[in-house]
Amino acid sequence: MIEQSSYLSILARAPAVDVKSFAEALIPMLDDIEVLQNRTGLVMLPMRDTVRGELFYAGEALLAEAHVRIRGAEGYAACLGRDLQQALAIALIDAAYTASTARSDIEAFVAAQAAAQAEADAALCLAVARTRVQMETF
Amino acid sequence: MYVAAKGGERAIQQAEQLFRELNGTFDATFVRLIERHMPYLIDRVMGEGSLYAPELAALALAQTGGDLYEAVLLLRAYRSTQPRLAYAEPLDEAHTFTVRRISAAFKDIPGGQYLGPTLDYSHRLLHLDVLDGRDSAPASPDGATGDPIDKTGAADLPFDPHPPALTDWHRRYGLLAPLPDLPPHDPASVPDVTRDPIHFPAPRAHRLQSLARADTGGVLALGYASMRGYGMIHPTVNEVRLGYADVRLRHPVSGALFSAGRVRVCQGEVVTPAGSGSDAHPSTNGAAPPAALNPGFTATIGWNEVKVIAGAMLDLEMEAANAHPAHREEFVLYHTEAVEASGFCIHFKLPHYVTFNSSLDAIRRAYAAVQQAEPQ
Repeated sequence: MIEQSSYLSILARAPAVDVKSFAEALIPMLDDIEVLQNRTGLVMLPMRDTVRGELFYAGEALLAEAHVRIRGAEGYAACLGRDLQQALAIALIDAAYTASTARSDIEAFVAAQAAAQAEADAALCLAVARTRVQMETF
Repeated sequence: MYVAAKGGERAIQQAEQLFRELNGTFDATFVRLIERHMPYLIDRVMGEGSLYAPELAALALAQTGGDLYEAVLLLRAYRSTQPRLAYAEPLDEAHTFTVRRISAAFKDIPGGQYLGPTLDYSHRLLHLDVLDGRDSAPASPDGATGDPIDKTGAADLPFDPHPPALTDWHRRYGLLAPLPDLPPHDPASVPDVTRDPIHFPAPRAHRLQSLARADTGGVLALGYASMRGYGMIHPTVNEVRLGYADVRLRHPVSGALFSAGRVRVCQGEVVTPAGSGSDAHPSTNGAAPPAALNPGFTATIGWNEVKVIAGAMLDLEMEAANAHPAHREEFVLYHTEAVEASGFCIHFKLPHYVTFNSSLDAIRRAYAAVQQAEPQ
């Protein structure tokens, strides 16, 4: 069992082509797919001012979102960018998982994506760590 | 007075065609190349356009032949066609993968200083050999192009990509005033310059949002004037931080928090000893300062260090009771708005025949009146 917050985050960051391909393979197992929403729009990006502690909007981001229903189970996704198919694919995966359809396949796919992302993060961590600087004064 | 003009449709069509012919056409591959290889340019367009959309920022640059102001305008115009769907959870240090963090004020900061991806300490030499066919490569410590970065093995010290805010450390030691008791945040109720006009003195949220989307050149020009001596302060960079922040949203059905992806963000803080400059910090009301340092802050989407450093200095300047006129809040915020400023500037290219001739007529009448009044 994977936490919803975890798999939605991993799928939003995964390569869109892989997510779409995986969702495509799921579709035959899903019947009566109802697309409630599939659109692009904006999300406001509030940020906390570190010196006064107040919130302000650092900007906005373009995102694609999808909301689907499959046999009573609702699925939702939002991912940065304007790829409506990517959002729809993730929403379908979310609905399938909520409806306990193809759970082991989904878990395996998410685990593989999570491993790739963890590896990329670890590599970046290491590269940044090597730029640590110890300043000396004379 | 503005008067409508008509005509010139064919000339306009031909002018646009000539623009494409002289500046080259573009396609999806070219746009992807810009997105991949010009990230700082993309960041600047997104920051000033106030819309995080790297693909569209690259398209805007391609479509305008690299004209920054036109590209920013295209992005802002696109933004206006999109509905507002959600408010993310506040971007913060705990959910930002930091890749660069430096301080010019304190050399030993908790979590350490990391140069991250930067050319700050590189030789400013053109790699002319690239023009002769040699591939570009990361620079080695001696400045020559050398081996790619080593991604294997371990670092000397572990790196935490989520270091705490340096200002929290300052507050523990009384260098900064404690944060006031703020009500629980509601991201949807933050004052928003895209929906409400700015009234002065502006809410801090308006000031910081305006700086976040301000024209980089404008912020730099006014900030540089402060640095050169027109300002009241001489601050030090407390922290510059670059990172990838998670955009966290709530699932509308379950309420679960998840990340819709990461955005590049940067923030800058400057500090100056409290009471320094020609006047005391207004929050001290002339009394003994509550803490040793007065801070300034600016952040933006995308990585743009010049803008956040200059912006943070202007944030401090705008707090001064008798700031230079060019560093007062109204002056800074109104004159660094990229689209309004560039738009007003280029509007002068449009036909002003009626207004200009009206002025000429007035001058001619004045001359005639003077000549008539003069004794023969």
